[in-house]
Amino acid sequence: MKSFHLIKPYFSENRFSIIIGIICLVIVDLFQLFIPRVVKWAVDDLTSFQIDMFGLFIYAMEIVGLAIAITIFRYVWRRCLIGLSRRVEEGIRDRLFSHLQILSPKYFDKTRTGDLMAHATNDINHIRMATGMGMVALTDALFLGSAAILFMAYINVRLTLYVLIPAPLIIFGTSFFGSRMHRLYGEVQASFSDLTEVVRERFTGIRIIKAYNREAESTERLERMSEEYIGKNIRLVTITGSFFPMMVFLSNLSMAIVIFIGGRQTILAEITPGDFVAFISYLSILTWPMMALGWLTNLIQRGKASLDRIDTILKTEPAIADPPDPQPMREYQDRIVLEKVSFSYGETDEPADRGEALSDIDLTLEKGKTLGIIGPPGGGKTTLLQLIPRLYDVNTGSIRIDGKDIRNVRVADLRSLISFVPQEPFLFAGTIRENITFNDPGITEEQLIKAAREAALLETIEGFAKGFETIVGEKGVILSGGQKQRIGLARALLRDASILMLDDPISQVDTETGNTIIETIRKTAARRTILIVSHRLSALKAADEIIVLKNGRITQSGTHETLMERDGYYARTYRLQEMEEALNV
Amino acid sequence: MFEFGYAEEEKLGKPYDLGLLKRLYPYARVYGRYFLAAIALVIMITLFELAIPYITKIVIDRYIVPQTVIGTEGEKNRFLTADPDDPKIQAAAARYPDLFEMKAGQIQIAYQNLADLDAETLALLRADDLRGVGIAALIFFGVIICSFLFTFIEVMVMEYTGQRIMHDLRMQLYDHIQSLNVSFFNRHPVGRLVTRVTNDIQNMYELFTSVIAFVFKDFFLLVGIAAVLISINWKLALISFTVLPVVIWAAFIFADKARGVFRILRVKVAEINTRFSETIGGIKVIQVFGQERNNHRGFARLNHENYEAGMHQIRIFAIFMPVIELLGAVATAIVIFYGGGRVISETITLGSLVAFISYMRMFFRPIRDIAEKYNILQNAMASAERIFQILDSKERLPEVPARPDHPFAKETIRSLRFDDVRFGYLPKEIVLKGIDFTLNAGQTLAIVGPTGSGKTSMINLLTRFYDPNSGRIEINGEDIRNLPIPLLRSKMALVTQDPYLFSGPIRENIFPPTEEWSAPGIDEVLYASNARSVIDRLPQGLETDLSEGGASLSSGERQLLSIARAFARDPDLIILDEATSYIDSETEARIQDALIELMKGRTSVMVAHRLSTARYADRIMVLHRGRIIESGSHEALMEKKGFYYQLNQLQNG
Repeated sequence: MKSFHLIKPYFSENRFSIIIGIICLVIVDLFQLFIPRVVKWAVDDLTSFQIDMFGLFIYAMEIVGLAIAITIFRYVWRRCLIGLSRRVEEGIRDRLFSHLQILSPKYFDKTRTGDLMAHATNDINHIRMATGMGMVALTDALFLGSAAILFMAYINVRLTLYVLIPAPLIIFGTSFFGSRMHRLYGEVQASFSDLTEVVRERFTGIRIIKAYNREAESTERLERMSEEYIGKNIRLVTITGSFFPMMVFLSNLSMAIVIFIGGRQTILAEITPGDFVAFISYLSILTWPMMALGWLTNLIQRGKASLDRIDTILKTEPAIADPPDPQPMREYQDRIVLEKVSFSYGETDEPADRGEALSDIDLTLEKGKTLGIIGPPGGGKTTLLQLIPRLYDVNTGSIRIDGKDIRNVRVADLRSLISFVPQEPFLFAGTIRENITFNDPGITEEQLIKAAREAALLETIEGFAKGFETIVGEKGVILSGGQKQRIGLARALLRDASILMLDDPISQVDTETGNTIIETIRKTAARRTILIVSHRLSALKAADEIIVLKNGRITQSGTHETLMERDGYYARTYRLQEMEEALNV
Repeated sequence: MFEFGYAEEEKLGKPYDLGLLKRLYPYARVYGRYFLAAIALVIMITLFELAIPYITKIVIDRYIVPQTVIGTEGEKNRFLTADPDDPKIQAAAARYPDLFEMKAGQIQIAYQNLADLDAETLALLRADDLRGVGIAALIFFGVIICSFLFTFIEVMVMEYTGQRIMHDLRMQLYDHIQSLNVSFFNRHPVGRLVTRVTNDIQNMYELFTSVIAFVFKDFFLLVGIAAVLISINWKLALISFTVLPVVIWAAFIFADKARGVFRILRVKVAEINTRFSETIGGIKVIQVFGQERNNHRGFARLNHENYEAGMHQIRIFAIFMPVIELLGAVATAIVIFYGGGRVISETITLGSLVAFISYMRMFFRPIRDIAEKYNILQNAMASAERIFQILDSKERLPEVPARPDHPFAKETIRSLRFDDVRFGYLPKEIVLKGIDFTLNAGQTLAIVGPTGSGKTSMINLLTRFYDPNSGRIEINGEDIRNLPIPLLRSKMALVTQDPYLFSGPIRENIFPPTEEWSAPGIDEVLYASNARSVIDRLPQGLETDLSEGGASLSSGERQLLSIARAFARDPDLIILDEATSYIDSETEARIQDALIELMKGRTSVMVAHRLSTARYADRIMVLHRGRIIESGSHEALMEKKGFYYQLNQLQNG
C-alpha cells in the first residue's frame, strides 16, 4: 500500500466515528445471528409441544426487539462508516484539483484531457467504492462469515465442515471471475470509446460524407463498430451471466448438503429439527459473506490501483515553479529584455517542419511603449507572448525584467505584473460578472463597470435581462465570438497590470468597435508596456515598434512608417486590408 | 466513460408518461419471440426458486418430524409409528421395552425418546425417512442445477435481445441524424448529437435488460411467493401480508427520495467534471491571472456540495435498507407467533411454518429491487425522450426520389448556371444577394474576395447543402432541386480547406469500399494526385489505419490524400475550397501540381485565396458582401484596373 498515505489522514481524522461504526457493525452481526437461534428454540419447542401461545409471543417479541436494535445499530454504522468514503472522495478530489492547477501548460499539452477526466471521475469513484462499501463490507463479511461459521459449528461441527465444502470454490470463483470481468469490462469500455469516436468524427465531417455520397458506407462502418461493441458485451455477459447464477448455485449446493447430511443427522437424532432449521438460516446468512469476499478483494484492488494512479499525478512536479531562493518583484519599472530566446514545444511527434517555435529572438521593450506583432499563422506570435508570464520556459537565452531573469523571480510576483487576453478568451460556466472579476470580492462595482466600458462591452451587457448576472453557459455558449472576446478584454483591463499582452484581441469585433477598444487601451500606454498581436493592422499602426514573426524568427521590425517604406510582409498586408476597407465604405 | 451532456440533467426527475413506452414498444416487438422465451424462462426460474423452500418443507414434514400426534391439550406428544410385523422392529422394541409401546395394533415411540435409542436401531426404525431425505436432496440438487442453467440462458437471451434493440435504435438514430440537413449540424453541437447516439442509447439498454428482465422476475417472484403462501395456509398468509402495505409504502417513499438525491448527485458530478475540464482548458488564463486560489475555492464549494449530497444519499439508504430488514423480521415474528399457534393447534405443520419463514425472507427482496430499479427507469425515460426528440425532427431539403434510371445518371455536366441566386443562413442576414453566372463544361471559375463575402456559401449551394432563398441553380438547364441529391453529388468532388479524413484504412478514405478497384486503377489515382510518396512513406501503405495514431500525417499530406479521394471519384465538376493554412513550400508545390492535374479537362469552381491559383482560371469572379463586383478573365480584369488589379499589384509587389 504505497499510496496509503493519501487516505490515511481521513482515517485518523474520523477514528472516533470509525470505532463507533465498527462496534455497531459487530453488534448488528451478533444480533443478526441470534435471530435464527430464537427461531430454532421456537421450532424445537413446537416439535415437542413444549410451548404455549405466551411462549410464542415471547419469542416473537424477542425477534422484533432484536430487529429494532439491528435497525438502529445498522443505521449508525452505515452513517459512520460509509460516510468516510465520501469524505475520502472529497479530500482526494480536492487534492487532485489543487495539484492540477499548479502544473504547467506543458503537462497539459502532452496529457490528454480525456485521460485526466478519467482520473478525476473513474479513479476517484473506485477509491470511494473501495474505502466505503469495499472496506466496510469486507469487515462485515469477515466478521459475519466467521461468526456464522462459529454458530454453526456450535450446533454441529461435522455438518458445518460439510456445508463449507463449496466455500473455497465461491471465494476463488469470485476472485477468478472478478478479474476476468474487470478485464472484459475494460474492453467493453474501450469499444464504447471507439464507437463514440467514430460517431463524433462522422458528424464532424458530415459535409464530406454528404458530398461524397458516403452515407451508406458510414452507416456500415458504425454498424460494424456497433456489432463489435455488442460482441464485447456478450462476452462480458457470458462471464457475468454465468458467474452470478454459479454463485447462487454453489450456495444452494451447501443447502443441498444441509438437506442431505443435516436431514440424516436430524432423523438420527444427532441434531434437533430446530438445529436443522437454524442451519438453513445461518447458511443464508453465510451466502453473502462468501460471495462478497472474492468480489470485495477485486473492488479493493481496483481502488488501490486507482489510488496509485492518482498518487503518480500528485507526485508530478510542476515544470515551472518558484526557484529555491526566489527574488521578490513588486513592480515593473524599466524594461523587458529578450536575449537570444529560442523555444520549442518539443516532445511532440509532429512532422519535422514544426521544429523550433521561436529562434534567436532579441527584443527590448521599454516601459510606456507598445509593441505590435504580426506574421503568418504558425509564425510564433502566441508562443512569444506565453514566454513572458512563464507559461513556458525558454530553451535557450533569457528573458529579463528590470534586469532580473524571470526564472529567478517568484512566479506569483511575475504574473501579478501581467494582464493577458489570450487568443481563445476562455470563459467559465458562470455569470458574466464571475468571468470578469473571477469572484474577487475586492473589486468594486465602479471598477467592473469601467472595465466593461473600456472593452466596449457595457452596452451589450446592459442589453441582457440579467446584466452582469447573465449565466454564459459552458465555454460561454450563449455569447457570440465578439462578446466572448470582449469579456476576455474586460477581464484583462480590470487588472491594472503594468504589462498588458493582447493576443489578437479584436479579431471577432467589428472594425469600428475594434478601433475604439484599441484607442482606449492606447490611452493607458504611458504607465505600462503593451504587446499586441493582431491580424488587423490598423490596430498596430500606432505601435512604437512593430515586428514581423515568420517561422519563429523576426524578419522585419520598425515603426509603421519605416515598414511601409520597405514594402515587405507588413506593407503588403497593410495595403490589402486598406483596399478591403475601402470597399466597405 | 463520462458524459459531457451535462446541461441536460435538469430534466431528470420528472415522472414520465406511458407515451414513451408506447413508442418503444415497436422496437421490442421485433424481438417478441426472444422476449417470450425470456419470460418463459423467467417463469421456470421463479418456479425453481419457489421450489427450494418447498422441498425443505417436505423434508421436515415428511421425513424429519413425525406427524402422528397423540394426546390431549397440554399433554400432546409426537410419536413415531413402525410396522409391527417387521421382525427386526419387533426385536428392537423388545430391547427397549420402556420406550416402545403397542397401541391400536402399531408399535410407536415418543419423539423425545428417539434420542435414547442406539444409532443402529434408529437407522432401522427410520430407514424410509433416510431414503426419503436422500431422494429429496437429489431432487433439490436437480432443481438448483436447472435453475443455474435456465438463469444463464435467460441472462444471455435478455442480453442479446437488449443489445439488438439498442443496435437497431442506434442505427436508426444515426441514419436519421446523418440524413438531416447540414444546417441541423450547424445548430446542434456535435458533442450533444454524439451523446444521443452513444450514452442515451446506452441508458435505454439498461431499461431493456436490467429493468425489464429484473422487474419481470421480481414481479413473478412476488406473485409466486404470495400464491405459495396462500396455498400453504391462506389465513397465515393474509396475516403475514399485513406488513406488506408498510413495505410498499416505504419503498415508494424511498424511490421518491432516492430519485431526488440521485438527481442532485448527477448534477453535482456533472458540475465537478465541467469544472475540471474548464480548469484544464483554461489553465493558462487561471495561471496568468493568478486565480488558482479563487478557482479552487469555487471547486471546493462544489466538491463539498457533492459530499453533502452523497451523505444525504447515505442517510436515505441507511434508513431504507435497515427498515426493510426490520419489516422482514416483524413478518417472521408474526409467522412464529401466529403460525406457531397454528402448529400447536395442528392446523399447519412444522415444515409449513419453516417454509413460511423462508418465503417471507424471499418476499422482501423483489420489492426492494423494484424500488431501486425505479431510478434506472427514470433515467432511461429521460434518454428516450431526448432520442425521440431527434427522431421527430425532419429537417431535410425537399428531395426528388432517386431512381436508378434517372436520365441525369447518364449525362455529363455540360453547363452550370446561377440565376439570380439569393441566400442567407438566417432569414434576416442575406449572404448572397443575386448571383448570376454561367459556366460551360471544361471551364474553371475562381471566386476571390474578402472574408465573409459569401464564397463558401456558393459552395454550400452548389453541393446542395442548402437551397437558395430565391433564384435557381441549373445544371444542363435543369434546376438542381429536381435532381436526386445522391446523383447530383455523384457528379462532383469537394476538396475542402480542412482535409477531413476518417479513421480506418487510408484505402477506404480514398476509394469507396463499395467500388471495385484494380491495382493499376489505384496506382493511376495515387500517381495523378501526388499521393504516391505519402503512401510509400508509411510502412503499411494504403492499409495504414488513420485511427490508431500510428500515422502522423502533416496537414499538407492530408491535403494530398483528400485530392486523391477527389480523383478516385472521377467527377465532372470539381469544387475546391483552397487551404489558407501554412504548408511548407515543397508540399505546397505538390498540392498545386495535383490540383492542376485534377482540374484538367473538368469543370471547376474554386474559392481561391492565392491569386497565383486564380490567374489560370477561365473566369475570375470577385465577390464582395454577397455581390459580384468584378468578373472576367485575368487579362480582362487586369485591364479593368479594379479591385482584382490592385490585389494583384499587392501580392506580386
